[in-house]
Amino acid sequence: MKPRLRRGRSWRMLAGAGCALLLAGCDGDNLPRARVLPGDMPGPDIPPPPPPGTQQPMDECKDVPKDPGSVTLHRLNRAEYDATVRDLLGDTTRPARDFPTDDHGYGFDNNADVLSMSPLLMEKYSTAAEKLVEAAWKKGLFNTCALDGADPKPCARDLLSRFARRAWRRPVTKDEVDRLVDFVALAQRHGDPAEAGVKLALRSVLVSPHFLFRVEKDPDPKSATPHRLDDFELATRLSYFLWSSMPDEALLSAAEAGRLSDPRELEAQVRRMLADPKANALVENFAGQWLYTRALDTAEPDRTLYGTFNEDLRKAMRQETELVFREFITGNHKLRELVDAPFTYVNDALATHYGLPLPGSSTPRRVDLSRHPERAGIFGHGSLLTVTSNPDRTSPVQRGVWVLEQLLCMPPPPPPPDVENLPPPLTPDMTMRERMALHRSSPACQGCHRMMDPLGLALENYDPIGRWRLQEVSGAPVDATGELPDGNILDGSEAMRRFVKSDPKLPACFTEHLLTYALGRGMSKADECAVKEMAATAEASGGRLSDYILSIVLSDHFTQRRGETEAWQP
Amino acid sequence: MSKKFQLSRRTLLRGAGALMALPVLEQMVPQAAHAAPGAAPRRLAVFYTPNGIHMPKWTPSATGASWELTPTLQPLAPVKSDVLVLSGLANYPGLPDGDGHHAAATAAFLSCAKAFKTEGTDFRVGISMDQVIAKHLASKKATRFPSLELGNDAGRGIGNCDSGYACPYANNIAWAGPTTPVAKETRPKAVFDRLFAGFDPNATQAQVEKRRAYGKSIIDFVRDDASALKTQLGTSDLRKLDEYFTGVRDLEKQVEAIEAEGPSCNPGSAPDDNEDPRVKTKAMMDLIVLAFQCDLTRVATFMLANARSNKVYGFLGLPGGHHTYSHHQKVQANYDALATIDRWEVEQYAYLLQRMKGIQEGNGKSLLDNSMVYFSSEVADGNSHEHRNLPVLLAGSGGGALLPGRHVRYNGEPLANLYISLMQAMGVTGITTFGDNGTGPLGRLAG
Repeated sequence: MKPRLRRGRSWRMLAGAGCALLLAGCDGDNLPRARVLPGDMPGPDIPPPPPPGTQQPMDECKDVPKDPGSVTLHRLNRAEYDATVRDLLGDTTRPARDFPTDDHGYGFDNNADVLSMSPLLMEKYSTAAEKLVEAAWKKGLFNTCALDGADPKPCARDLLSRFARRAWRRPVTKDEVDRLVDFVALAQRHGDPAEAGVKLALRSVLVSPHFLFRVEKDPDPKSATPHRLDDFELATRLSYFLWSSMPDEALLSAAEAGRLSDPRELEAQVRRMLADPKANALVENFAGQWLYTRALDTAEPDRTLYGTFNEDLRKAMRQETELVFREFITGNHKLRELVDAPFTYVNDALATHYGLPLPGSSTPRRVDLSRHPERAGIFGHGSLLTVTSNPDRTSPVQRGVWVLEQLLCMPPPPPPPDVENLPPPLTPDMTMRERMALHRSSPACQGCHRMMDPLGLALENYDPIGRWRLQEVSGAPVDATGELPDGNILDGSEAMRRFVKSDPKLPACFTEHLLTYALGRGMSKADECAVKEMAATAEASGGRLSDYILSIVLSDHFTQRRGETEAWQP
Repeated sequence: MSKKFQLSRRTLLRGAGALMALPVLEQMVPQAAHAAPGAAPRRLAVFYTPNGIHMPKWTPSATGASWELTPTLQPLAPVKSDVLVLSGLANYPGLPDGDGHHAAATAAFLSCAKAFKTEGTDFRVGISMDQVIAKHLASKKATRFPSLELGNDAGRGIGNCDSGYACPYANNIAWAGPTTPVAKETRPKAVFDRLFAGFDPNATQAQVEKRRAYGKSIIDFVRDDASALKTQLGTSDLRKLDEYFTGVRDLEKQVEAIEAEGPSCNPGSAPDDNEDPRVKTKAMMDLIVLAFQCDLTRVATFMLANARSNKVYGFLGLPGGHHTYSHHQKVQANYDALATIDRWEVEQYAYLLQRMKGIQEGNGKSLLDNSMVYFSSEVADGNSHEHRNLPVLLAGSGGGALLPGRHVRYNGEPLANLYISLMQAMGVTGITTFGDNGTGPLGRLAG
């Protein structure tokens, strides 16, 4: 089974059972109804969900023991490596571009469990370390003291201990520094100057597990009793969460002074760090994966049908989503407004594409959308609309699945074999809706599609590259209505926005994704109550993205860890 | 940017003496082939292509030596006598739990082991056959690189990879152990630099030895660091640390192998980075040939695309994605699109074979004669996710291990048995079982 969060009311089990029964040849009309589908009426035994913003942790969570879980030793991924050497050595050459791509797990490529350390990667680390040290040396980065030919050790010791402290994100022991300084003698034995030894030591620091991994120690690795991270480990978690990079001097000093155990200090650090340009890492690495904007790089709309799509537009679409999300991180907007925010960022090319007034600029400008509600929020973004389409047509299914998975955390079961695609049009002017209805008429498909389709169909006024349209390619008029499982109709994208915005699952779902990213581990059933509590705290504090970030950072999940009970056998 | 490389002095001397008699070559003859005439090393290359093959246009009707080129296999015409078509092999360990056929079958592609269904935390499959061979060759210190893992595509980096199966299953075919995928390189220029850069043709023996000593001292330092950590970490952490130790050990072997003379052949210019799959695939094929020819490695794997790839082959006039077409639903237009893609894939493979055939080795045979070049996909029909009757090609003679130029039809024999034969041919002795269902070597490969 997929170890994803399972809801108290078992939506997925019902849905899964429905699909399985159908595959077994059951009559599709007698489907067991999944009762907590979007828009569905709760059954008599289930209380209605609280209105948005007032969600409280459920009673069933009251006596659940708090378990922060265990985060696997986390290797720096490519983005983290590049950002770290940028901040450590001022190197902006992005050496990790030469490293093999990181796999992703649970939707993010910072998942510690799937960040493997292969021999190839080790070789790349070694090569990169040598190049990085040489480049930094040439730039004079280590000219802080003079390596005296007769007695180079005091300078070497000073320089290496300071570098290792920053690179390893913690104080270094005398023994560790001694071992680093030993390289000076080694070089001298081979007839090289002290400088050669210091460079070897610097390279060693960069290939050490203390640099390549974010080490968090367990006093008792076999105990499941939670303990607080030490201040340096916490500083490191925080800086990799918000910056994808190492702690800066201010954060490291706060850790050194033992101030991070004070929640007020932690909050102050979070606010300071979010205001820093380095917080763009949250946009690129969290939002890029959560909102799928990263997939825009490889999207290939059919040029014969959608010839206006070009590289400038691709870039403008990406910038739009990034700039909007960036404003959400620092601004005063509530999470829910991501769905219908009345502003966006477009340049002339993208404004033309969207049919908006031109801002008169080739770089993106913030524009007001109060008179263009069809462009409000992420559902109006060309990026999202393009990556959830097929090259030659829209995919209401992909769009619906995106909403269910990324916003409501209700991933539908995968399609059965043999039926993954829409049937071809029976007549040339057959509409998307008619083709999907045909698809749903297959019993194997019906059970799952009634959950996904209405959300996607309501976005049919956006073509595969996100342009507003009233006609399909075939010339048939667009019908942007979707019937929810309870029989209610979503009439077009604005109704769909209102519907998603008011869904009570949105806060916990966003928290689940953000926490998955913050910790670098997948969520399990054991995390369910904590996630709900963090979401409720964030909503109670105002429901802004910064409230969610703070709610996570101040939680036991973020500030604590525990060992593991089962043994690993190589 | 491209770099020119100098030949080492020793190679030049050797070239001047022995090689002038040979026909004009694009590159120099590899050292190993030269050192022992008549006993060129055997090599194995693997070409993986995703989403299956449209089998009706693939499978020849006649078996034996009288097989005919089908529409999809047409690009093999110039090397037909060098190719074995193997029909009817099955890889049942590739069957997933529930859905996720592409990822599960890709994980089993070279391991013939069932992948544990998980999105992350505890992924596990089995060692792949190429890595069994690589470890064997590494123990004999045969080449500088035990194996080479190449592919065209980095991950898309979003969403699920395949129905609850972790992304490492979908993006890797080489597994050094059950929990250790071997990452592939996706930039030709980076591969080239790895193979040939970092070598100073003017270094003296003393300088080389010093470099080796320095490298080893760094390795000793970080190994001590990792050892000290061991006692303070939990069980999953130790798994990661174990991967680190493996990496350090391999790095150490390479440092020990730092040579005074460098590559014994002329690598030419580094390829430029280019994302066009036509250019990139050719560059990757050229790198495999070069690495074999220079005897830098004897095992190479290549993923034309990742599992479940929905790549658009616009240059073939196809606007839709590959995976979308593969769920053909018995629609003729989809069959046609698939056959077009399949044929293009076979063309790329044929290019590799022709390059290898054009290279004469010291034993008078071609590089292709001395090699085994395997082509297949993780499933047969992409619509029904068929794990039987896989599309399998095997080219080259493997230095006498194979009798090519035939179509052999099997009846559901495990793919793992083919791998046992390949591993044996590559010198892995004593291997009689493999993966979940390999029981012994596959018959009829040598005639």
